[in-house]
Amino acid sequence: MTKHLIVEHLTKIYERGEVLALDDVSFSVEKGEFLVLIGLSGSGKSTLLRCINRLIEPTAGRVVFDGIDVTAASSRELRRLRRRIAMIFQQFNLVKRSSVLTNVLSGRLGYVNPGASAIHKFPKQDVEMATVNLERVGIPEQAYKRADELSGGQQQRVGIARALMQKPDLLMADEPVSALDPATSHSVMQYLEQMNREDGVTVLASLHFLSLARRYGSRILALKDGKIVFEGLPAEIDEGKFKEIYGEEAEEVEVR
Amino acid sequence: MAKRPRKSRSAKPDTFLQRVAALKPRLYAFLLDWGSWGYIAYCFMYLLNRYWYVRHVNFYGTLAVPAWAWPIVVVGTLELAVLSHAFGHSVGLSLFGLKLFGPDYRASSWQVRLRRYLWWHLALPLQALSLRKAHPKGLLVHDVRSESRMLVVADIQEELPVVKPRKWYLTHRGLMTVALIGLTFWLGWMTTQINLGTLFGRASKSAYLWKALVTPDFEHFVTPDPQLRDSIMGGILESIYMALLATLLGGVIAFPLSFLGARNIMGFSRAGWLVFSLTRGFFNIFRSIESILWAVVFAVWVGFGPFAGVLALTLHTIAALGKLYSEQVESIDPGPLEAIAATGARRWQVVLYGVIPQIVPSYLAFTLYRWDINVRMSTVIALVGGGGIGRILFYYKNEVGRLSNAWNQVGAVIVVIVAVVWFLDYISGRIREKIT
Repeated sequence: MTKHLIVEHLTKIYERGEVLALDDVSFSVEKGEFLVLIGLSGSGKSTLLRCINRLIEPTAGRVVFDGIDVTAASSRELRRLRRRIAMIFQQFNLVKRSSVLTNVLSGRLGYVNPGASAIHKFPKQDVEMATVNLERVGIPEQAYKRADELSGGQQQRVGIARALMQKPDLLMADEPVSALDPATSHSVMQYLEQMNREDGVTVLASLHFLSLARRYGSRILALKDGKIVFEGLPAEIDEGKFKEIYGEEAEEVEVR
Repeated sequence: MAKRPRKSRSAKPDTFLQRVAALKPRLYAFLLDWGSWGYIAYCFMYLLNRYWYVRHVNFYGTLAVPAWAWPIVVVGTLELAVLSHAFGHSVGLSLFGLKLFGPDYRASSWQVRLRRYLWWHLALPLQALSLRKAHPKGLLVHDVRSESRMLVVADIQEELPVVKPRKWYLTHRGLMTVALIGLTFWLGWMTTQINLGTLFGRASKSAYLWKALVTPDFEHFVTPDPQLRDSIMGGILESIYMALLATLLGGVIAFPLSFLGARNIMGFSRAGWLVFSLTRGFFNIFRSIESILWAVVFAVWVGFGPFAGVLALTLHTIAALGKLYSEQVESIDPGPLEAIAATGARRWQVVLYGVIPQIVPSYLAFTLYRWDINVRMSTVIALVGGGGIGRILFYYKNEVGRLSNAWNQVGAVIVVIVAVVWFLDYISGRIREKIT
């Protein structure tokens, strides 16, 4: 079986300040996996995710998605690749002054007729799909509200609905629950789990809490100072490994 | 808590250019202090001229520094700057965060300071001879010889002992600041020929004018003045429409330009940077030339009248709104742009779906605010042939000799201008409150 996503020797140096954010990172992801990235703030998790769909240009290394070299793709090819790689964010990244429906529909921008999108016109089936996806994340009644009128958990669900609109093969989640309370965190994580199990979407999520990573991840990748320091099953992380990843003074906290 | 790692700035400078760069704050501080002593010398000359030369020597002449004395002035101010660096905490040093330290960050004795001052004179020639193999820590000759260092305080903050600061009026920089501000105000007062005696002594001369202005004559409010072939009403409407057209045209043109002038939209490639710089340059240059000056140009180009005024106002509006708009684009939340780009959208789709919804309210507010400015501007733009209510105002003002009620007519025009400007200001203020 060919690998779904291959990352080879990925390196990112931020020129300002000459910070080495990613240091020769290599790993691969199988189709249907739920891979969780863990590590402290500033360990390079966000940079890694953004280098995969080239929201940030990597300094060196290669990313191959379904046999296509992302790092060598032209801007047209890159747009086609990005359609298949959905992303959700820590701060939700919704357009706050636009309606929930518009935010969800913007997930189709890579697919629709660009001319029609210029006048905010979306095909009928896309609008229907948006309604279905809002129902799926449990907030169909919020469709015409402005995005900033929603609570944090609801906003992240809009983010998920927007990702669903892309019919993605891979979902990247950049600390999707860090801004949410524990109960809401679990409900959001369960939507990701559902996408992973029912739609067969490969998930690559960075998480702050090890307990969440253990509960949802099928495999864990730990970053420290831009390097991979652990790769394996959730159960393999013991006390020693934990201290290696998070530092000597860290205590494990549970999110229930 | 773990100790913060030292900043990389304190790392050993190894190339020639790095060595020069490490000396940059010291150089800037020195130039600033030299400049301020030079300014004080200039002020001294100005005052000497004013209070001694013109009064007692030659009323029609100006005291000037003879050619042979210029080197003395230059060297004198230079010495003063060096002295104020060696013996005190000058304005330049405190602005660039530098401080003089002896060994172990202690304050230096006066002997050390004197040695530093004297060695300084040899520093430049010696340095020029040997800068390529200079001291490894980027020190200059007088640093080494006097065993004192000029250091950036922020770099060594943690190691400094806590010292109670001196009262500002006992410090060199405090006194220097007061002297600079005081002298500037003194010279400014005299250069602009401010004279309070005239202001109050001649107040009664303007009394008839005030009287006429508060008893406005609305004879030609709606009935056109046969000589002028226009009424006040016609004039103010012309002004309002001029402002409206200029704001609309200016806003419509500035809207697309504002994206070209936004760093976060254009900063993705070298060509983008070029467009960004050109657009910003255009905004800055055309904004700094007031619309009344543009009206002079357009009055020659298209002839006197409101059309010239509209063109002048539009040009200035494009530049001013363009700048405000693009700053607004730069201050938006980048998160949604990232999210929309990640869906595979094109660049312009990101702008359309991610940027525009975020900026619409402030764009409207800025545009309304600009309309206020344009209405006010359009009342005076007639001074250079730009049309509008100002034409009527200046007509009556110039007819003072012929018409006995000319000032009363001027009063009427002013009353109308005030009423309209106030009213539009109020309305646009209310609308701006609503949309932001």
